[in-house]
Amino acid sequence: MIQHFPVLAVMGMFLGAFLIEIFGSKNAAVRNAISFITFTVVAGLVYALIKPIIIDGGVIAYWMGNWEPVAGYAIGIGYEVDALGLVFAIIAITAFWISNLYSFGYMKGEHHLGHYYTLFMMLCGSILGFCMTGDLFNMYIMVEIMTFSAVALTGFITDKDGALEAALKYLVLCSLGSGFILTGIALIYLQCHTLNIAQLASMLSGGLTPTTLLAFALTVAGFGVKSFMVPFHTPLADAHAVAPSPISMVLSGVVTKAGVYGMIRCIYIMFRAMDLTQMQIIITAFGAVTMFVGVSMALAQHDFKRLLAFHSISQVGYIITAAGLGTALGLTGGIFHAMNHMLFKGLLFLAAGAVLHQTGGVTNLDKLGGLSKRMPHTTVCFLFGAAAISGLPPFNGFASKWLIYQAAYTKAAETGNFYYLIITITALVVSVMTLASFVKIAQAVFFGQLSEENKDVKEAPAIMLVPMYILAALCLLTGIFYRPIAADFILPAVRSTVDVVKYIDVMMGEGYAAAAGVYNMAVSNVMVSSWSPIVYLILFITVFIAAFIVILGSKSDRGATVEVDPKNAMKHSNFFSGEEPVYSHVGGSDMLWGYKYDFKPYYRVMEELHSGRVTDYCNMVVIATAIIVVFMFMFMR
Amino acid sequence: MTIFNYIACILLIVLGLYAVCTQKNLLKTIIGLSIIDYGVNLLIVSTGFNDGGSVPVYQMSDLLNGVSAQFFVDPVPQALTLTSIVIGACVNAMSLAIVVMIKKKYGSINVDDVRRLRG
Repeated sequence: MIQHFPVLAVMGMFLGAFLIEIFGSKNAAVRNAISFITFTVVAGLVYALIKPIIIDGGVIAYWMGNWEPVAGYAIGIGYEVDALGLVFAIIAITAFWISNLYSFGYMKGEHHLGHYYTLFMMLCGSILGFCMTGDLFNMYIMVEIMTFSAVALTGFITDKDGALEAALKYLVLCSLGSGFILTGIALIYLQCHTLNIAQLASMLSGGLTPTTLLAFALTVAGFGVKSFMVPFHTPLADAHAVAPSPISMVLSGVVTKAGVYGMIRCIYIMFRAMDLTQMQIIITAFGAVTMFVGVSMALAQHDFKRLLAFHSISQVGYIITAAGLGTALGLTGGIFHAMNHMLFKGLLFLAAGAVLHQTGGVTNLDKLGGLSKRMPHTTVCFLFGAAAISGLPPFNGFASKWLIYQAAYTKAAETGNFYYLIITITALVVSVMTLASFVKIAQAVFFGQLSEENKDVKEAPAIMLVPMYILAALCLLTGIFYRPIAADFILPAVRSTVDVVKYIDVMMGEGYAAAAGVYNMAVSNVMVSSWSPIVYLILFITVFIAAFIVILGSKSDRGATVEVDPKNAMKHSNFFSGEEPVYSHVGGSDMLWGYKYDFKPYYRVMEELHSGRVTDYCNMVVIATAIIVVFMFMFMR
Repeated sequence: MTIFNYIACILLIVLGLYAVCTQKNLLKTIIGLSIIDYGVNLLIVSTGFNDGGSVPVYQMSDLLNGVSAQFFVDPVPQALTLTSIVIGACVNAMSLAIVVMIKKKYGSINVDDVRRLRG
């Protein structure tokens, strides 16, 4: 009975989508009832899989129409759910359930809501299918459904400024990524004549031919586009800023994770290339750049949701870096952080959505301020999320980030490679910058002075507060009980990622992997309990002293007078002297301006890169893909 | 000769990437995307090609004569291509619909004008 659950979950989601289109386009009560029941039933089906897969450590294989392999060749389409896929499916369905609840309040009063829920459920169904399928082409189909529904939902409120533009950029770049993935799949089929991931894993184990190497590079680049790592990140920032807030939540919490999941599945299980040092270096390099660019761009933003979007990119960088280390500890940190990121970033987007909903669409940080007096519940939820994303104990962000630092540092100590030390320091610095930018938002939006326009703002309705409180409670609980969660929920997923032999044997029949000569990858098996904060304290103090010496020793114009732009002269004079200020809120642009002033050349380059032109973004995608392909052919043959 | 198929599909993909990367008109960007799609479709359908092979349908006489599967054209890539064509049509329809609405809202479909979200 239980082996039917994965398929039923995916089918149930699509069935619900059709039912809403038929019965729910007119009546709001029917529509909400159908979507709530469908999400609850599917969530029940997915959670029921925890017992056999995560607790008992099994793998569920399911052949569509009972087309089982003949003579060792997979013929039919197979679903295969291991702990890795299930953890990501649980992340997805939890986020969607909460986001659906929030949509009832947030989307009230919009037109064509029947289509909204249809697309929303198709997005959920496709991601569940993506996480549970064992067939490569089926994976591609699910990615495409995911892209379509995400694009349509991004531009759903077409009146909103920039919504269509963001949808178009998203569609063009993701289609390029899908094209790379499909080319990769075609090349793999050309070589192996099968599409089953388990069988491919056993076939591709004996080294890569040039064809499969090209396929590998293209697949990695394609899933990189789907997970929006730098330099593929540009459409994500636009899409987050203009999409309805419940959609921003699932875009950042789930859709980017689907890309990361695809990458882990591809690198660890299908091609099993993660024990190669070159592979670890390129993936961690992309991850570290993603972390840094995301957070540094976030510091310079003026739009609430766009700022959060760049933080999503930065946090996905953490996950990619951790997964790219190729150690059990790193993978634990990465998957744990994927779960935590869904929780706290979802919470932050919902808080941003509550502000936007109650103030009538204002997300500019310079026009908000002092909302904590009017929206106390939203403020509390936001502060929970901000503390979690900045990695403050005892919230969940601290636990997973700590694992990631430790994994990177252990890797540096094991290999003696200076490169991994740089990765570790980058991760630490990025975390500090994250905290800085959340201080900025908290001051610009929730504290300070209340402006005249926002005098009559009310607290968000209960239907929007309940999902936020659920997420806030989850952030705190996963942070306090990090040890059982990491050991009993995340670690099985890590084990299943490393245990390729079992994955193949369950799908293709007992002894298949042994016959094909597949062995399990040698991954250093550091378990969760080996935490040593002292090492970090020493490292951090060392870096701090080094930075201090560099700053003291360098020549700079610190203390010199800075010319004040005459346009803003009035605003700045309020800080020091002059007329008695009537309204002197320290806005978003006023905070951290010294930092932005010091790093002006960097931000000038970044502004040119994020030019807003689709052609420029496509150029970045093509160039990065070319770099990945060339790197693989140079160093991995 | 399948080699020409492979050369043609690589040419198509490169041509499409060139169009996407250089053309300033959004319609041309979308045309570039479809050209990439056609190239990939050609690649997939070529992978299943078997020179001189027959239709992938077994007949009783074939089975009795012991014809091996080598002589059949692989049917799986054709199914994949059909699916991929359908998806490509969806991409076209959706992106064209968005471009029509962008034209209404922005009054232009030049890439340099459609860049309100940046920085």
